[in-house]
Amino acid sequence: MLATLAPVEAPPVEAPEAVRSSRPRRLGALVPYLYLLPGLALLAVWVYRPLTQTFQISFVSWNLLPTSPARPVGLANYERLFTLPDFGSALGRTVVLIVGLLPFTIVVPVLVGLLARRVRGRAATIYQGLVFAPLLVAPVAGAAVWQWLLDPRSGAVNQVLGTTVNWLQEPGPAQLAIIVITGWHVLGFAVLVVAAGLAGITDDYAEAAALDGATRSQITRWITLPMLSPTLVFLLLMTVLLAAQWSFPLIDTLTHGGPAGATTNIYYLLWDYGFHSFDAGLGAAAGVIFFVGFGVIAGGLVRLSEKVSFHDR
Amino acid sequence: MKRTLALVSTAALLLAGCGVGGAAGDTAATSFAPELSPDQKVSITLESYNFGQAGAWSDTFTELLGDFQKQHPTITVTGQKPQGSSSNPAADSVSSVQAQLATGNPPDVAQLGFSDLDFAVGQLGAKPLDDLVGRDAVQANFGGAHPFAPKAATLGDLNGKTYGVPFVFSTPVLFLNATLFKQAGLDPAKPPTTWDEVKADALAIAQKTGQDGAYVDCVTQSAKDWCLQSVVRSNGGHVISDDKKTLTYADAPAVGAISMLQDLVTSGASPKLTQQQAVETFGRGDMGMILESSALQGTFAKGAKAGWELQGTGTPAFAGKPVVPTNSGAALFVLSKDPAKQRAAWELIQFLTSDEAYTTISSKIGYIPLRTGLVDPPNSLAAWAAKNPLVKTNIAQLNAMEPWVSFPGTDYLQVRDGMMRAVENVVLQGAPAQATLATAAQQGTPLLTAGG
Repeated sequence: MLATLAPVEAPPVEAPEAVRSSRPRRLGALVPYLYLLPGLALLAVWVYRPLTQTFQISFVSWNLLPTSPARPVGLANYERLFTLPDFGSALGRTVVLIVGLLPFTIVVPVLVGLLARRVRGRAATIYQGLVFAPLLVAPVAGAAVWQWLLDPRSGAVNQVLGTTVNWLQEPGPAQLAIIVITGWHVLGFAVLVVAAGLAGITDDYAEAAALDGATRSQITRWITLPMLSPTLVFLLLMTVLLAAQWSFPLIDTLTHGGPAGATTNIYYLLWDYGFHSFDAGLGAAAGVIFFVGFGVIAGGLVRLSEKVSFHDR
Repeated sequence: MKRTLALVSTAALLLAGCGVGGAAGDTAATSFAPELSPDQKVSITLESYNFGQAGAWSDTFTELLGDFQKQHPTITVTGQKPQGSSSNPAADSVSSVQAQLATGNPPDVAQLGFSDLDFAVGQLGAKPLDDLVGRDAVQANFGGAHPFAPKAATLGDLNGKTYGVPFVFSTPVLFLNATLFKQAGLDPAKPPTTWDEVKADALAIAQKTGQDGAYVDCVTQSAKDWCLQSVVRSNGGHVISDDKKTLTYADAPAVGAISMLQDLVTSGASPKLTQQQAVETFGRGDMGMILESSALQGTFAKGAKAGWELQGTGTPAFAGKPVVPTNSGAALFVLSKDPAKQRAAWELIQFLTSDEAYTTISSKIGYIPLRTGLVDPPNSLAAWAAKNPLVKTNIAQLNAMEPWVSFPGTDYLQVRDGMMRAVENVVLQGAPAQATLATAAQQGTPLLTAGG
């Protein structure tokens, strides 16, 4: 989000002498701004206005109804958030979710990407299509099928594992199930991103290194992975920022944040406050905190990516 | 950089100029909705969670709307289900109306739960029927050849006015799988009447048949709290004080009741299941008993056709204490602001609560007819009642029933959900009862007075 503010600053400003000169020149100076206008207007209407309103709503008590007035309450919503234990524990669960998803968004895609480089031509297209397929399954439909697979008595998962776990009704297994299903869902996307990253690395380096006697694993470790690092940082950024959103439809369908709140992450909590309990102020206050928190994390990751990235140019 | 700052702050000022919040409450008194002229065409919408439940529910309601159309050719009714993705569409009923109100287009008639009465009147703008059509007309509708059960008729009243006409209604029933009872060497003709007997029978079933024993569908957030209130009150407790200022579910009688439910799970008499899983398991014939809304009778009867025998009995008691059944269910509310639609809505409500509609609803879905006289011979539901002995149990419970107590204030859902999460934590996850419930009650109490 922080990065998107940049375009406001971007257009170069004409020197004052130029502005004072002839009329056509002045119109000409306006043209770039006119081109930008539709985009900026949409951004303002769809992003900045709701964002500002979120800040406003976070200081009131209101249930979103046009018939009821919003009552200003100062910082009370924020105070309540920090005194309620729900917020802290939801934050902890979100961290677990993000860490749990990293294997699916980074480790496995890199392994698959490296191994699959040897697959070429039509076979590669088919295989990439197969890996990508889960992303095309609507999350709610996928969740319904997973619900059957995870059934404690007759579900395929328990039959294969030889267990009797009620996956969606025990706190630990429920969180694990949400992580694995979300991971299954986004794996294809991550593999595709890694494949694109690998395709962008020219073979020249590897060939040169091979001439010098480097082994395959040395090439991977010292040439391919460093050159892939921008892609990996991008995937890390996506996982941190979007993990809670990816899992939302699954949580909403499979566990409703339960059992006893064990799968309630911050987005589900925010939604619950705002649109289930209709406490718009509390939901907005939570939203503001996440916005600031994720903004800081995203800023850090963007700086990190500039530092570690190896630019092949 | 200065320029950017200036731009950003100007933009922020511009954007912040738009205020949030609605206009202060619509305080204008509701005026009388005149009768429709014979050729006046009106279209109204009816939002009911029954349209979101496949099978008997939506089929029956579609049929009823068809019948209404024949009797009132000038009124077109569109049935719709609540917006939302919950597996139990009833759970979405308030949030759906709220979302539609926020966009300025609420349904004209909505079926909402009794525990939402305060909120429906105070926030959703449900219209007082006494003002719309006159108190006499409202009372006349409760009367008729087969009047409403007296305890049922007043459930939609608030501050001395009738806002909702009680419509569908159920009490908790202990459903039994008689086939499993026999396999476990138990006599289904002597069903358990106390919780101790429930535990003993459930353990016998679990041990001898390898199936699940007994599930009490009162302990999860999705079950709401109506049936928990029945269990707690049967042990002499309450979940909230009479003045609605203190949460009392961490007091001894309530904690005792909830600990009993926990003991069912820890002893192995009750499986750890979600509401949906439990209903499906019992429907498949893989569970001995389930304490469930009588509205699920139709669903279970369908499942029983696969080769097991369904029976039902009243809510179990705590040894030596009277049973206090509570009701779940919903009333019909008028939300429309247009006088013609309001009158059409009243015509629809009269039809849906008529002898004729109850005959259809009870025989096809299994809800108890609120016009209880209909089940006595020679009336329209006598044959149905004879085939379903459970109806008598239900009507007996209806007469002993205490209403489902709703939590006050705008944060009532947070209060209720907080309580149910704590109960689920205790009963299904084995958390210490007293401490967990006390913490939840402490967090919930300030919310009772919060909001306006």
